[in-house]
Amino acid sequence: MNYLLLAALAAYVNAAVHAILAFAYKRRSVERVAMVSLGVGFALHTAAFLRDWIQDGRYPLFGLRETLSFLAWTLVVAYGLAHFRYQIKALGTFLIPLVAFLVTAAMLVRTTADARAGTVAEGAAGWVFPIHTTLLIFSYAAFFVVFAASAMYLWQERELKLKTFSALFHRLPSLTTVDDIGSTAAGIGFTLLSLGIVTGAILSSQQTGRIWHNDPKEVFALITWLLYLTMIHYRIQWRGRKSALVGVAGFGLVLFTFLGTRLMGGYHVFG
Amino acid sequence: MSIILVGLNHKTAPVEVRERLAFTDEACAETLQSLVDGELISEGLIVSTCNRVEVLAATRGVSGDEGTARISSFLSETRRVPHQFFGEHLYTHADEEAVRHVFRVASSLDSMVVGEPQVLGQVRRAYSNAVTAGTAGRVLHRLVHHALHVAKRVRAETGIAASAVSISFTAVELGRKIFGTLKGTTVLVIGAGEMAELAAQHLAGAGASRILVTNRTTETAEQLARKIKGTALDFSSLPAHLAEADIVICSTAADEYVVTPEMAREALAARQRRPAFFIDISVPRNVDPAVGELDNLFVFDVDDLEAVVASNIREREREAERAELIVESEVMQFQQALRSLDLGPTVAALRQKLEEIARAELKRQRTRLGELTPEQERAVEALLMSTVNKISHPIISRLRRSHDTGEEEDLKAWRNTFGLEE
Repeated sequence: MNYLLLAALAAYVNAAVHAILAFAYKRRSVERVAMVSLGVGFALHTAAFLRDWIQDGRYPLFGLRETLSFLAWTLVVAYGLAHFRYQIKALGTFLIPLVAFLVTAAMLVRTTADARAGTVAEGAAGWVFPIHTTLLIFSYAAFFVVFAASAMYLWQERELKLKTFSALFHRLPSLTTVDDIGSTAAGIGFTLLSLGIVTGAILSSQQTGRIWHNDPKEVFALITWLLYLTMIHYRIQWRGRKSALVGVAGFGLVLFTFLGTRLMGGYHVFG
Repeated sequence: MSIILVGLNHKTAPVEVRERLAFTDEACAETLQSLVDGELISEGLIVSTCNRVEVLAATRGVSGDEGTARISSFLSETRRVPHQFFGEHLYTHADEEAVRHVFRVASSLDSMVVGEPQVLGQVRRAYSNAVTAGTAGRVLHRLVHHALHVAKRVRAETGIAASAVSISFTAVELGRKIFGTLKGTTVLVIGAGEMAELAAQHLAGAGASRILVTNRTTETAEQLARKIKGTALDFSSLPAHLAEADIVICSTAADEYVVTPEMAREALAARQRRPAFFIDISVPRNVDPAVGELDNLFVFDVDDLEAVVASNIREREREAERAELIVESEVMQFQQALRSLDLGPTVAALRQKLEEIARAELKRQRTRLGELTPEQERAVEALLMSTVNKISHPIISRLRRSHDTGEEEDLKAWRNTFGLEE
């Protein structure tokens, strides 16, 4: 039993509950509890991560369990950055519960991957592997932020067009702000994804001599990459609603790349 | 000790009555001292606004009725209005009810427009008048400070004052919703209606940095431009300038569309598809509704804005229900705090404690005294009780002094010495 991670989960759950309450009831004291809990959860989570790293003697990002946990960790980082830059609270209401959910999922998933972890990380390319996975997980977190910002954009845009406003409307940040968050996060996510794909190609060429395996994960990553490339390229023509739609669709692809291809097998299935 | 509030407001009294009873700041200061006699009424404060006249008082006595009668004759005397003129409009609240009422007034829950921010300032001024007059004491200090705290909480924790309830503020609010901040935005006013002018002023007040004005009649445009510190444009250049405007206020008497979808589409392309907000307050409408179907353009006509205002009012009412819960919990907290302000129970408990000790001792030693005549019996009892009183008297005086000067520590020490509850 991973008690550090369990403690982190408790803190995250507490943070999630308080973030939702703060959103619903606009209480600053409740919001502070949420932020402090999130901070505590993050510290514990980081500690759990470092302890695994030291204990197992390898970078603890392998297999579904560790990936989910790490994804949650990167989401907290992404939220911290967005919060620091834009001072928006609404994002936390959607993001923190997801973090809690991911950590819960990580705790429930069976650990089967550990035995094979060493074999993948072997050889001269050993150091590239953790960079490859870390970059991609961070890019997923960035794309999730794009998704959340896009959803907020579309929701509000729809209400503005229909001229009927729900209670949610008054609590979300302005259209310009969410548009800005979305495009910044998309830029970051795209950069990370590009680097992730490049490191992946290096890794695979060193291990098998091929840079491309036509494996579903690679194909979907490439499609995602092309979609965001198009979005960034047509940034001005697509400003607003279209960008937001791409943000949502792109995240669908990211999810599929992350989870869906696991079911289709291929080079990238380890755990 | 008791708190009473006597007054009337926009719900109970018509303006003819309210205006006769209203107090100016000077009148408050002058008359308060005559209200507070130190006998029946120990502290007093007058809240006088265009919507209410209320006298809040702390009384020495237990019964509120006497105080109420006193305040109502005070109103009649100082305002020189016969009692029958306003008597039926008066409401009276005592203790918990009075506290609740003060909290509700300060939080703007009792206002004509729920959530309006002025009333808090008016309560503050009423308090400072009472402080100047020297009629605000321990109880009112606490009550007013607590009321200000409640008002702050209600403001921060509910959306009671969050949404605009006028058309021009709704325009500002929607502008903020689209642009985040209005700082640096450009407003274009087409036409010269009063409402357009008001909206433009509100937008400028909220930070819009540039205001362009255009009209079919150049003179009218220039006039309005001078008035609201904007720049007048030639009407024929409207299509060219449309792209510069983040917010367009349209209010002309034209019976055709002044802004067409083609114009809007071109403007949108020229401004790199950055969103724009059209406020069309003209009837018949000046902005083709089809403009609103374009991405990143938001068109609101008069009916849309009215509907938003109506829904905001409903939203305020919903939020007011949550505010009432906050008020309730604060009333309870205040009542608890007030009990510690009230010395009566402490004094009674002290006397009772000492008397109990004396009686217990007497009971223990009674048999040794043998047979006593009823007279002797009474004498022994009187002896004991007067001893108890003589001992407790300086202690109680001391308690009262500490209480009046607010030395809580001292009070606590005495309570602890005798094992009394607070």
